Amino acid sequence: MKRKFQLNHYLLVVIVLALVIFPFVSDSRTWTILLTQIFIFSILAMSYDILLGYTGIVSFGHAMFFGMGAYTTAVMLKRIEPTMGMFILSIGVGMLLAGLISFFIGLLTLRLKSHFFAMLTLAVSGLFLVLAEKWRTLTQGNDGFTFKAPEFFKDRVMFYLVALACLVLVYLFLRRFVNSPFGRVLVAVRENEQRTRSLGFNPLHYKVIASVVAGVIASLAGSLYAVSLRFVNTSVLTMDITLDALLMTIIGGVGTLIGPIVGAGVIELAQHYLSGLAKEYPIFERWIIFFGIVYILAVVFFPRGIVGTVREQIWKRKTKKDGSKPVPKKEVL
Amino acid sequence: MELLINLTINGLATGMLIFLLASGLTLIFGLMSVLNFAHGGLFAWGAYSGVWFYSLTGSFFLGILGAILTGAILGFITEKLIITPVYGNHVQQILITLGFMLVLTEMLKVVWGPNQIAAKVPPYLAGSYEFGDVLIIKYRLFIIFVGFLIFGIFQYMLQKTKIGLVVRAGVMNKEMVQALGINIKRVFLYVFMTGAALAALGGVLFAPYSGVIYAEMGFEFAILAFIVVVIGGMGSFSGSLSAAILVGLAGSYMAYYVPALSLAVNMMLMAIVLIFRPQGLFTAKG
Repeated sequence: MKRKFQLNHYLLVVIVLALVIFPFVSDSRTWTILLTQIFIFSILAMSYDILLGYTGIVSFGHAMFFGMGAYTTAVMLKRIEPTMGMFILSIGVGMLLAGLISFFIGLLTLRLKSHFFAMLTLAVSGLFLVLAEKWRTLTQGNDGFTFKAPEFFKDRVMFYLVALACLVLVYLFLRRFVNSPFGRVLVAVRENEQRTRSLGFNPLHYKVIASVVAGVIASLAGSLYAVSLRFVNTSVLTMDITLDALLMTIIGGVGTLIGPIVGAGVIELAQHYLSGLAKEYPIFERWIIFFGIVYILAVVFFPRGIVGTVREQIWKRKTKKDGSKPVPKKEVL
Repeated sequence: MELLINLTINGLATGMLIFLLASGLTLIFGLMSVLNFAHGGLFAWGAYSGVWFYSLTGSFFLGILGAILTGAILGFITEKLIITPVYGNHVQQILITLGFMLVLTEMLKVVWGPNQIAAKVPPYLAGSYEFGDVLIIKYRLFIIFVGFLIFGIFQYMLQKTKIGLVVRAGVMNKEMVQALGINIKRVFLYVFMTGAALAALGGVLFAPYSGVIYAEMGFEFAILAFIVVVIGGMGSFSGSLSAAILVGLAGSYMAYYVPALSLAVNMMLMAIVLIFRPQGLFTAKG
C-alpha cells in the first residue's frame, strides 16, 4: 500500500510539472485561459468538498464566499491601486472577511438539521446577492465593473502559473488538513454525529471550523476568478457558482481531494466543447440539462463520483489478487 | 388609507401565491420528511403550461386546469423517478431535488425558449373595482379568493375526511400509520402529486399577476416558500397559510416603505425563527 501511494505521488508531480511546462510549449491562448479557469474552479470545488464530502454538510451558500473574495479583490484593485502588493493584500482581506462571516453563520446555523442548514445558507447567500445588487455605489450591481489587473499579470502565462501554484498549495494544505486528527474527526461527524459526540468531541465545534476553512478557500478562488476576468458583477454571487461547485464535486468524487479537481476539469472542458457545439446544434445551448441529468444519475448510481468509483475498482482488483479481505464499502453521501 | 388598503391587498395576493407553493411543500415534508428543492420548478412549469393552454384555447379556466394537470403529472414523475430512489437519505434528497430543479428550469427554456413570455389577464378579470376613492384591482381579489377557497377545501378534506385523517396521522407518526395497514408510500405519492398541482396552480395564477413569466421565477418563489415553511412549521397546513400571509404582507409593506429591506426582512425573519424556534411559529398540534 505504501508503494502504491508513492506511485500516486510521482504521478501527481509529473502532471504538475507537465502543466507548468505547458504554456511554454504550446502558445494556445484558449487553452491557457481554459486551464486557468479549471485551476480556479478546482480550488472552489475542493473547498466545497471539505463541507460536502468530509463533513457531510450540504451548503447552498458557497457562492457568497466566492463572491466575497471576488468583490474584495476587484474593489481594492479598482479603488486603491492595481499593484501586486494590493492583490495579495486583497486576497488576505477577502479571506479574513469570508472567515469571519462563515464563522458567525456556522455558529448560528450548523446546529440545525441538514435541510434547515441547506435552506438557511440558500437564504443568506440570496441576501448577499441582493445586497450586492442594491449597493450600486460599490458594486455597480448587475452591470458590474472592469478593473486593471496588476502589471505582473499582463502576461496570461504568469497568471496561469500563479493559479496553478495556488491550486497545488491549497491541495497540499487540504490534504494535510483532512489527514490530520482534526480531519479524522470531521469524517467521524459525517459518519455518525451522535457517536462522535459520545466519544467526547463537540461536533458543532468541528463543523464550524470546517465551514470556516471552506469559506476562506472559496474566497481565494473568488479573488483569482475576479483577476482572471478583470471584471466582476453579481453573477459571482449567484446560485450558479454554488451549483458549479456542487456538480464538480459530485461528478468528480465526493470525499476525495482529487475528485473535485477531476470534476472541475471534466465540467469546464465539457462546457467549453458543448457551448462550441451550440453553434451547429441549438439544443446544446441548454447544455446545463445534460449536466443536470448526469448529476442526478451520478447521485443515484455513482454517489462516489469518477475518482471514488475508480478507486473502488482498483481496491477490488487488488484485494482479489491478494486474496485478502475486501475493504468495507463506505457510503459517502 | 387607499395606499394602505392596496398594499394589504397586494401583500395578501402575493401571500396566497406563496401559500399555494408552500402548502404542498409543508405536507410533503411533514409526511415523509422530504424537502423538495424542485418545488419551485413545478411552480414555473405551472405558469408556462397554463399560459400555453390559455393562449391555445382562449379560456383562462382551461389554462388553469391544464396547469394543474401538468403539475400533477410532473409530480408523479418527480416522486417516482427522483424521490423514491433516494428515499430516507437526506443529503442525497437535497442534492437530487436540486439537480431536478435545474433540469426542470432548463427544460422550460428548451420547450418555450429562453425569453420572457407575456401573460395577459383574462378580460372578465381585468380592470378594477372602485369604492369611493379606493381602487382595487380585480385580479388580485381573484387570487385572494382562490387562495382562501383552496385553503377551505383542503382544510375540510384534512379535518373531516378519511384521507385527511390518514395524512394528518402520517404527519404525526408515519410508522404507526403503516403498522395499521395503510400503504403510506401511496398516500405520499398522492400528497406529492397534489402538492405539485397546487404549486402549478400558484404558477398559473402568478402569470397574469406579474404580467411576464420567466424560467427563473420558480427559484425566486421557492426561496419565499421555504421561508414560509420554516416560519409556519414543517408539516403544518394552517401554519403555512398564516406564515404565507405574514411574508406576503411584510414583503408588500417593506417594498413600499423600506424598499432596500424588502427581501432581507423575510430572510431575517426566517433566520430568527430557525435559531430560536426551529419547530416553527405555528407548529401542528400533537
